[in-house]
Amino acid sequence: MTELSSPATIYNEAELILLLKQQTREGFNYLYRQYGAVLYGVINKVVYDEQTAQDVLQDVFVKIWTNIEQYNPQKGRLYTWMINIARNASIDKLRSKGEIMKGKIRTGEDIVNNLQQGMKTEQATDTIGLRKMVAGLKPEYETIITLAYFKGFTLDEISKTLGIPLGTVKTRMRHAIQQLREIFNN
Amino acid sequence: MNTRECIESGILEAYILGALSVAEAAQVEADIAMYPELAAEMEAIETVMQLFATKLATEPPAGMDEKIWGALQPATAAASQPNTPKVIPFQPEYRKPVQWKHAAVWAGLVGSVLLNAFLWTGKEHTKSDLAALSSKMSAIEQQQKDMAGILKDYQQNKAMMADTGMQTIVMHTVQPGHPMAATLYWSKNKGEAYVSVDGLPAPPKGMQYQLWVMENGKPVDMGVIPNNMANTPEMQKVGKPVTDGQAFAISLEKEGGSPTPTMQNIYVMGKV
Repeated sequence: MTELSSPATIYNEAELILLLKQQTREGFNYLYRQYGAVLYGVINKVVYDEQTAQDVLQDVFVKIWTNIEQYNPQKGRLYTWMINIARNASIDKLRSKGEIMKGKIRTGEDIVNNLQQGMKTEQATDTIGLRKMVAGLKPEYETIITLAYFKGFTLDEISKTLGIPLGTVKTRMRHAIQQLREIFNN
Repeated sequence: MNTRECIESGILEAYILGALSVAEAAQVEADIAMYPELAAEMEAIETVMQLFATKLATEPPAGMDEKIWGALQPATAAASQPNTPKVIPFQPEYRKPVQWKHAAVWAGLVGSVLLNAFLWTGKEHTKSDLAALSSKMSAIEQQQKDMAGILKDYQQNKAMMADTGMQTIVMHTVQPGHPMAATLYWSKNKGEAYVSVDGLPAPPKGMQYQLWVMENGKPVDMGVIPNNMANTPEMQKVGKPVTDGQAFAISLEKEGGSPTPTMQNIYVMGKV
């Protein structure tokens, strides 16, 4: 009857891929409605500036739109693929602005200082703010997720920044995600 | 590293968090393609990270969708014909030119023939391997039977040696000009006896050795001795209990034995 009465169709990932390949306005609308806020949220966690985040969001949609043929389901879900595009585009943006080293050094120093001072961990991670979204996440897990996922640190860089062995970095990542799993299951 | 250790190490989480080098990530992807346990764990991690991303969701400013759609038009135009919406049917195979199908059918056919030939050859190999294995098995079975026999003899010997009441009675020839001998081991208190006929020639066809015990001058039948024991050091337990007697003798009788010994055919005799 009217646009309001049209049912909200939900596509599974395989259907969505075919829909995106047709490059229609309907396909875009669905993509934006389903994933726009999540992608924007990820971008915002990496780049703090709102205007930059909006530019990156646009770049991310262009990349998804033009590279959908390159998506390989063997390597993971479409969802993961899109989030990785958002993360990488955001981290690249920081790099191109010359903030990468500054960012890494600053974040590293902050974390080291916080570990030394103990009490100030809360304050420093507050700028990262993951625990606002995920209540109960341990500070050390928040740190490791932030460094890897939102700052683009490699295992080696994290190991050097935090002064812990590579193996510990990996097991801490595992425990971090296990804690997230427990939190979400409750 | 086995799959369990791989999962426990946290490498899958490091992969999802984007902390691996290109080479390490490629290795993880290859491992996931090979081991279903890893793929299942990765699925679980992806689910967690999907929920995690959902928690971060922030609504973009109003109007962003129109702006982005506008930015997509050059990309869309570049990827498709001008002013024509790109229509891709949901069955992607319709897009493939027909000759590809022919090629695919031929490739499949040739591949199938080659595969059959390969599998047939493999089957023939397997058959001959199986035959070799089975003859090897029967050889091993035979060896095992032989060993069991030898083991039984040894156990018997050991039991005899351990028996302190065991007497050894050597039976000497009673046929002048024919040096023959046989040995009997007798445990009187147990009533058990063992006989060995290594000093007797193989009996002629249709004949068999028979063992006798002399009780108060009267020969008592103790059973016949298997022909294959003659001229071998093999020992056999006497089938009947031997509780009394002053002498033992062996005679050559017709196959199956006689109720009384043929006197001129008594070959050996020994006193207790």
